[in-house]
Amino acid sequence: MKVRVISQSIIVAALFCLSAPVFAAPTWKIIPADSSLTFTATQNNAPITGSFKKFTGNIQFDPADLKSSRVEIDVDIASVTAGDSQVADTLKTKDWFNVTVFPHAVFKATDFVKTGDKKYEAKGVLTIRAKTIPMVLVFNLDDYAANKAHATGSTTLQRTQFGVGQGDWSKTDAIKDDVRVDFIISATK
Amino acid sequence: MRIKNTNDRYGIVAVTFHWLMALLVIGLLCVGLYMTSLKISAQKLQLYGWHKEFGLLVLFLVIIRLSWRFININPTLPSSIPAWQRFIAHAVQWALLGFMIAMPITGWLVTSAAGLAPSFFGLFVLPTLVAPDDHLRHVFADMHEWIAYGLIATICAHVGAALKHHFIDKDDVLRRMLP
Repeated sequence: MKVRVISQSIIVAALFCLSAPVFAAPTWKIIPADSSLTFTATQNNAPITGSFKKFTGNIQFDPADLKSSRVEIDVDIASVTAGDSQVADTLKTKDWFNVTVFPHAVFKATDFVKTGDKKYEAKGVLTIRAKTIPMVLVFNLDDYAANKAHATGSTTLQRTQFGVGQGDWSKTDAIKDDVRVDFIISATK
Repeated sequence: MRIKNTNDRYGIVAVTFHWLMALLVIGLLCVGLYMTSLKISAQKLQLYGWHKEFGLLVLFLVIIRLSWRFININPTLPSSIPAWQRFIAHAVQWALLGFMIAMPITGWLVTSAAGLAPSFFGLFVLPTLVAPDDHLRHVFADMHEWIAYGLIATICAHVGAALKHHFIDKDDVLRRMLP
């Protein structure tokens, strides 16, 4: 009898474990053509925008289950574009992103907060040039359907905290410290 | 000194415009030649920033200066000067004004094609005139450079002629423009 109860509970526990992924937030695949990652810096008091053409993501997100939601975005630094090629080429150099040594930037978030209608905050960490700094993204979940999700958001970071701009470039007269990052993520299951 | 021009000399407004713009334009030419010779650095970028701001200031000033010129009489040249010299003197003056418009506009096109909107002393940001384009940037940069050489040659002719009038002809042509 006792054995039976134990074995039953083991089966129940096993079933629960097996079924657990069903309750976890669903996995989403980014649609690159409909997604973008852009940044706006300030050079000589005027905005300069650029983007990272390639980034991948590991997204598990469900607005009804924020606890088990998690996002990891991997940015291919070499895909940077900004203004003309001169600017992009400079950004890849040792003093900036140092793309040969640090080819990726990664944002990881496991802590999501709903702040309003369709509005969320993703609290996580951003790693650029092997420097990891806490970062909060605010985003709007414009669309969340059975098979399609669309989010737009932004954050502002300080480039010098990551060492983006070494030596003389770390001065913030010609190029300001604040860089605004905007993203659009379109995803499908 | 009169505010407006008279038949035999320039007024205070024209004189101020003349020397202020001489200073700005020669300064811009020197900074332009120097900054383009530098390797990319924060200092180079800063110089480009100033160059753009002061270049736009020249564009702004030259428009006001031209307006002032149109609502004013110009002092007449001494009757001793032959017609062909009058013609060249005026052609050089108009060329200088033309270059002072062409330089900031081609410069604005260069920075536009580079995807870098120019700021006017942090007060406002001007729009870019064309979409970022590497090829166009080179085309506009070459134009900007060659117009600069033309401007330098024209300034030399203008200054040379003024000094010739002052020291060789010993007339009042240069003095009319002095404060």
